[in-house]
Amino acid sequence: MELIWLPFLLGVLLLVLRPLRENAKARTAYVTASLLLECGAAVRTALGPGFSLTLGHLADNLLIAVKVDSLSRVFLVMGAAIWLLAGVFAFGYLRDDKRSGWFFVVYLLAFGALCGIACSANLVTLYLFFEALTLTSSLLVFYPCTHEAAMAGLKYLFYSIGGAFLALLGIFFLTRMNEGLFFLPGGVALYTEAVGGDGVLLLITFLMLIGVGAKAGMYPLHGWLPTAHPVAPAPASAVLSGLIVKAGVFFAIRIVYYIVGAETLRGTWVQYAWMVLALVTVFIGSMLAYMEPVLKKRLAYSTVSQVSYILFGLSLLTNAGMWGALLHMIYHAVAKCGLFLCAGAFITQTGCTRVDDLRGVGKAMPVTTACFAAFALSLVGIPPFSGFVSKWYLAIGAHDAGMLALIGPAVLLISALLTAGYLFPPVVRGFFAPARPDTAEAPAVMTLPLVVLAVLTLALGLASLPLLEILSPITRAVL
Amino acid sequence: MNLIPLLLAVPLCGALCTALCGKKYGRLPHYIALAAEAVTLALSAAALLGGHGLDDCALHLIGFLSFAANGFRLVWVPLICFAFTMSGLMCPEYLSHSHAPARYQAATLLTLTGTLGVFLSADLFTFFVFFELMSLSSWLWVIHEETDGAKYAADTYLAVAVLGGLVMLMGIFTLWNLGVPMDFTEIRFLWDYLSVPQGMLYLAGGLMLFGFAAKAGLFPLHFWLPMAHPVAPAPASALLSGVLTKCGVMGMLLLSATLFRWDFRWGEVVLGLGVVTMLLGAVLALCSVDLKRTLACSSVSQIGFIVVGVGLKSLLGLEDVLAVRGTMLHMMNHTLIKLVLFLAAGVFAMNRGTLDLNRLRGAGRGNLPLMLCFLTGAYSVAGIPGGSGYLSKTMLHEAIVEYTQLAEHAQGVMLIPLHVVEWTFLFSGGLTLAYMLKLFVTLFVMKPAETGKPLRMNAATTAALVVPSAVLWALGLSAHPLTDKILDMARPTLTDGTMEHALQYFSPTNLSGACISIAIGLAAYLLVVRPLLTREGNLINIIPGWCDLESKVYRPFFLCLLPNAAGLVCRLLDCSLDGFVVLLRKAVLRDLGRPKRAVAGLWLTDALGRLCDKAVALLNRTLRRKEPIVRRRSFVYSFAEKERELAAAGRLITASLSFGMLLACAGLVATLLYLLF
Repeated sequence: MELIWLPFLLGVLLLVLRPLRENAKARTAYVTASLLLECGAAVRTALGPGFSLTLGHLADNLLIAVKVDSLSRVFLVMGAAIWLLAGVFAFGYLRDDKRSGWFFVVYLLAFGALCGIACSANLVTLYLFFEALTLTSSLLVFYPCTHEAAMAGLKYLFYSIGGAFLALLGIFFLTRMNEGLFFLPGGVALYTEAVGGDGVLLLITFLMLIGVGAKAGMYPLHGWLPTAHPVAPAPASAVLSGLIVKAGVFFAIRIVYYIVGAETLRGTWVQYAWMVLALVTVFIGSMLAYMEPVLKKRLAYSTVSQVSYILFGLSLLTNAGMWGALLHMIYHAVAKCGLFLCAGAFITQTGCTRVDDLRGVGKAMPVTTACFAAFALSLVGIPPFSGFVSKWYLAIGAHDAGMLALIGPAVLLISALLTAGYLFPPVVRGFFAPARPDTAEAPAVMTLPLVVLAVLTLALGLASLPLLEILSPITRAVL
Repeated sequence: MNLIPLLLAVPLCGALCTALCGKKYGRLPHYIALAAEAVTLALSAAALLGGHGLDDCALHLIGFLSFAANGFRLVWVPLICFAFTMSGLMCPEYLSHSHAPARYQAATLLTLTGTLGVFLSADLFTFFVFFELMSLSSWLWVIHEETDGAKYAADTYLAVAVLGGLVMLMGIFTLWNLGVPMDFTEIRFLWDYLSVPQGMLYLAGGLMLFGFAAKAGLFPLHFWLPMAHPVAPAPASALLSGVLTKCGVMGMLLLSATLFRWDFRWGEVVLGLGVVTMLLGAVLALCSVDLKRTLACSSVSQIGFIVVGVGLKSLLGLEDVLAVRGTMLHMMNHTLIKLVLFLAAGVFAMNRGTLDLNRLRGAGRGNLPLMLCFLTGAYSVAGIPGGSGYLSKTMLHEAIVEYTQLAEHAQGVMLIPLHVVEWTFLFSGGLTLAYMLKLFVTLFVMKPAETGKPLRMNAATTAALVVPSAVLWALGLSAHPLTDKILDMARPTLTDGTMEHALQYFSPTNLSGACISIAIGLAAYLLVVRPLLTREGNLINIIPGWCDLESKVYRPFFLCLLPNAAGLVCRLLDCSLDGFVVLLRKAVLRDLGRPKRAVAGLWLTDALGRLCDKAVALLNRTLRRKEPIVRRRSFVYSFAEKERELAAAGRLITASLSFGMLLACAGLVATLLYLLF
């Protein structure tokens, strides 16, 4: 329970206590302690026995309630680990920034919204926390306070809130069919004769999926990602890409597997339309990333593509597909967070944002570039790095997808080839070009999170079987 | 105790240790790597001689990695370790001045793990995992020298490795989709071949064949091999050529032995590719003027020979034992031969710093051990009786003859293509002799082109050359007691057939095939190499520069045409929603109450100024990105100011007396002109 109010309290304290915010040493100490507390609370909740609680009523039948189930636990642990590591990196990244207190205020607050999403017990609560996450995380994009950042932040708000409205529309409809909309593995019984039949339900589900797809960067509402990521500070882009985008995925899982039910959607046009949209996004994202010269924008397009791998896996509605999706959710969070942090380290140490300008950076910054290489190998899907395992399950999960059983894996592999095309050249040109004389390795506070993430991306791949043991209760329950 | 996990763990730990050595410890990485390689060699040799120690097992890493150690695996694992150890022996001397010994040796040990895993794997999943490990870590060998040529070749190598791996993975997924089990034994014995659509099966096979062919250097995916092998350090080239290409071949052989056991179409396609590769490689090798490039092209050709055997294996069905034995022996021979020859080439490169045959002319004179070792390799690969290459080529030739005889009895099989195959086989064998003769004569017989000391090599390098040569002679000379026994061990997992009687390697029919080849080879050397490929004593390359599949076809297509076309479509899709929003804002959702920008100066200067501003911004984004044009002030204001100055000056002029008089003059001139005309 402390998970909900603690981040809020810690964030507001930093907001109101001016000396705490402006004195660098005090701020560092406070933020470190707060991050540890928040992440500790998240992990404790995830490992604890679980609870279920009603926080209040919006109206007599609109409950705000929290509950911890196995999916929440996975999301909480993943979120806590990534949030902590990106936070540590932020100390190094923002060390010369006088306003960095404001960044950490938002950073602490946004984690609360993320935990709220993970622990929501019904659709209304999820929607509220989802909007809270949009608002707090948009401040991370606004943070640089440039004209570009303002425009990008507005675009992010426009897309996210617009998408969430589609979800809200769905909630209005669904509430008429089932009061409360509490999550139930396998879906709540929605369909009754009175409300107008299957067709409407399917259409509404599809609209909701498009809507939450805005957060997850699914075509056609993916446009904000490549605009917002490059302007946000690197740790913010890292959590945006690693976790906040996954909130959209999480919402989609809740809608499909916990409200509407996989059985309702299996074999309908919604499933195929969702699948096709996800595959189109996979291809567009990686193709545009391949053509993109600015590193952070390239990574943003890569996120567009990679997150749709997860959505593709979810749309399959099979066991292996969902394993692949959940594994890829975790693996991509680790790898993409790492890649954005690497990009941040390159920017602080060299001042270069374009891939072509990063030649020779590997000799000057070997640790960072080696970590970049590990993340790249994972995202391309080279064994034994983790991305390979998730892609394997995604592809074999496509077994029963009819026409798309082969097209799906083929698109995934073409995209993997493009991923190699856009992630390997920075590494190769980085290591095998004349060294840059004026560049030094990033400080330890920045390289340490990178190394931890790089080790994770390898270790989680090697230990994929124990991880699947943890994930299989989720798939067993919902399918 | 099961040695397989240990066998994989030793090189992995070694790789970690060498990687941690960094640049500080000089030659230490070489010794760590050598120790790790020697330990794996000792373990696998003990398992081979002891007859146990390598049992089937599974590791719960990544997914289920399952291993088996039977038949060919039992023979190949020690051979791989042997090749790596011999190459490792040469490293301390060859790479003594290298800038990154730790990186090189870490790559070597990772590749060793990958290669061992490929050969030990019991299912397709495990095969793929280790194949990728081997493929990517060996990339560090290719780029090791960090020259421009090495970088270019390494880019190609990486692209082919990634593409090949992913296409192979797609093939595995397609198989999975058809319900084919992943385990090789299960595919072979349990799986019902006829119950699936044949078209899909061929699709899967074709995709996997692409992946294997990309690694083995089979036509039309051979283009990277003559580029990548020469640029790597010699000990690495020996392994790239001798061991790594075999991973691809082994994949093809496994497919031929399991999924396509009795499949004619598969066999015909593989046979056809093998024949083309065999001839193409030989012709390229004959024309090459670079020592290592010649050897690399020779590898392409020899892989062609091996793949011919793989194709025959499928075509011959139950009678495939001769083809399998020939294939196996030629694979082993080629590994040992290329080990010796590339290491010998390394001695030349190490002493003279060049691989150009014209500069190396006669350079080998005066170094007897080197000459004998090189001669061993050349003799064996040329297929002259007495060398081990003769045995394998004889078996492959016999297999072709056998298939031709079978085809004569069967109906509907065209015989002419088979005769073409047989003669191409003999002809390519002849060309092998011709280019090896060219190399040997150039390096060891001709008068030196440049004066210099005789080549030097230390004891370890000498051992690395002598030991594999000795093994080659042992294989070649004791055909029945030794070679046949090894082949008997390798047989069971690949074929059900048995040899009814031992093959008489030196019977007159078999010797006559070799004699035809040798005659062709001598003719090719005397009639083509000496008169046509030599000008003023120098060897020349008559293949024109535009005959380059990679730079003329593959690179433009994959790096330019395809991404730009697909990128355009994607860009349009990407902009669709944003474009729609922009359209709305220009049309029905226009912003109201936006203050109009004040016009500075005249509208003409204002427009001109804004145009100039935009042009500068565009230039800064494109042409002048490196050194942008910095302007403190907008052109709009400069132009407005200029305009005001101009207007003030104009007022001064128009108000003056001179201007009035000027106008009066003009009027008078006009009147005068009117009166005149």
